[in-house]
Amino acid sequence: MAHWISKLGWKVIQLVALAILGALLCATMMRFAPGYGVDERELDSRYSQASRESIRSEHHISDGLFSYYGVYLKGLVRGNFGTSIFLQRPVGELLRERAPFTLRTVLFGLLTAWILATALSLLTVRFQSWALDYSATAVTGMLIALPAAVVALGCLYLRAPVFLGIAVVILPKLFRYQHNLFAHAHSQPFVLAARARGVSRNRILFRHVIPVAWHPLVALLGVSASMAFGAAIPLEAISDSPGVGQLAWQAALNRDLPLLTSITLLVTLLTVGVNVLTGSMREGQP
Amino acid sequence: MKARRALRVVCLGILIAIFTLGLLAGSITHYSYAFQFRELPNAAPSSLHLLGTDPLGRDLFTRVLYGTRISLLLAPAAALLATIIAAILGGIAGLRGGWLEKLILASADLSMSLPLLFVLIALRVWLPLDASPVLSAGATFLTLGILGWPASLRVVWATARNLRESDHILLARSLGYRNSQLLFGQIIPCLRPVFLAQFWVSIPLFILMEATLSMLGLGVLEPLPSWGNLLHGFEDFSAMAANPWRVAPLLVLVLTVICFQFIFPESEELA
Repeated sequence: MAHWISKLGWKVIQLVALAILGALLCATMMRFAPGYGVDERELDSRYSQASRESIRSEHHISDGLFSYYGVYLKGLVRGNFGTSIFLQRPVGELLRERAPFTLRTVLFGLLTAWILATALSLLTVRFQSWALDYSATAVTGMLIALPAAVVALGCLYLRAPVFLGIAVVILPKLFRYQHNLFAHAHSQPFVLAARARGVSRNRILFRHVIPVAWHPLVALLGVSASMAFGAAIPLEAISDSPGVGQLAWQAALNRDLPLLTSITLLVTLLTVGVNVLTGSMREGQP
Repeated sequence: MKARRALRVVCLGILIAIFTLGLLAGSITHYSYAFQFRELPNAAPSSLHLLGTDPLGRDLFTRVLYGTRISLLLAPAAALLATIIAAILGGIAGLRGGWLEKLILASADLSMSLPLLFVLIALRVWLPLDASPVLSAGATFLTLGILGWPASLRVVWATARNLRESDHILLARSLGYRNSQLLFGQIIPCLRPVFLAQFWVSIPLFILMEATLSMLGLGVLEPLPSWGNLLHGFEDFSAMAANPWRVAPLLVLVLTVICFQFIFPESEELA
């Protein structure tokens, strides 16, 4: 237990280091982006020279790079992510408004995809029927060949909720991975021995196959969270849903780098955090 | 097993046909992909325009052919770049071990847990506002290639690590080979089948990613066609329902990605 806690502590330190590194990277991207510090108000003749100087100092144009890093990090610690250029609103406020929708959608999408993929892959391994196997492979093969944006359009036409679209994007990848894991575990000699002793198929599945595949499945949980957040961008953008994915898309189209880098930093920390958590869960198991 | 092999041959045939059509686009059609028949917007298929025209009056067949050329030339180029990065980093990690191995693996794990689409659009914003369509196509696939290596790296690293203790590497070490000679002269040539598999697996991923980016207006810019921006018109459902032939780019894309999934032999077939 103590060993596990120390490992978890080490992972948290790594996560904090990553947060600082990511923040510095975001600051660098913004500082050297084309058009940094250019404010159209400076062209407005109604502003006095003093007002223009004040506008320039808002952007810290004359400051050195390290001073700029300091200002940026200090702002982040205070929860100040800057101001969106095209929406002219604080980034933190925009994220607080939109994050609950995306988190809910991603969570429901993940849940639906995991339930469907697990059920389907367990059924194919349980019944060992070529018809079921080929049908599942054909359907998931078709779904995996569709770009996420086309799935988003399908959801829009069918008036399906966004979380269902996320589930459709992730389901085929989850199914393939889970099916391979369960099939590999099912082909092990101890499963053959259990079958020879007359152990029922259900018991073999739940007592011998799933426990063997458990560790890689936990690792897959972290990766699937990252896939789900990625799928949220086209789905929310095309279905006009008020989430973080749509905000990131609008920020990219309007070249709103402060908004876009803050969203990317937060989503990255979230997905890396989930991966750290699942990694620790895996290492904590016997 | 025979059915699988037959399916693989069929898929390979389809891919070669699609690739050839894309490469010979200039000889098959005499229209330019950007030329607009202003009097013929949304025209139905005819002998002059095999797949009709789009809302701007551009010949859809021509645009699909040129889009195929761009997607099927640049996606493999991006896959090649990603495989080369994975080969070098995975080879070094597997060969050297120690802190360098830990550092490379930690970077790969970190990159794999990043939401790729968020990072892609954040980098895409750096393109100048007046970027040409050719530059946008190059930048899109270059970014995909640079960010797409981590999944391949794990596979390359695992195989290279097994090779590290093999007899011929030990012999090469005892003969005084340097690490760079071991990497490029011994390890990388032995991993050729692994690289080939990773290269093929990456191509459909990059095709799909480009399609999503371009549909969102953040990939290849108009008037240059790619499979992604040809799907842009799908948002107008009533126009799609009235002109069903405009679904052709999606069919070509889906068919290509499915074929890529089937052309690689399964492990039991290789055994």
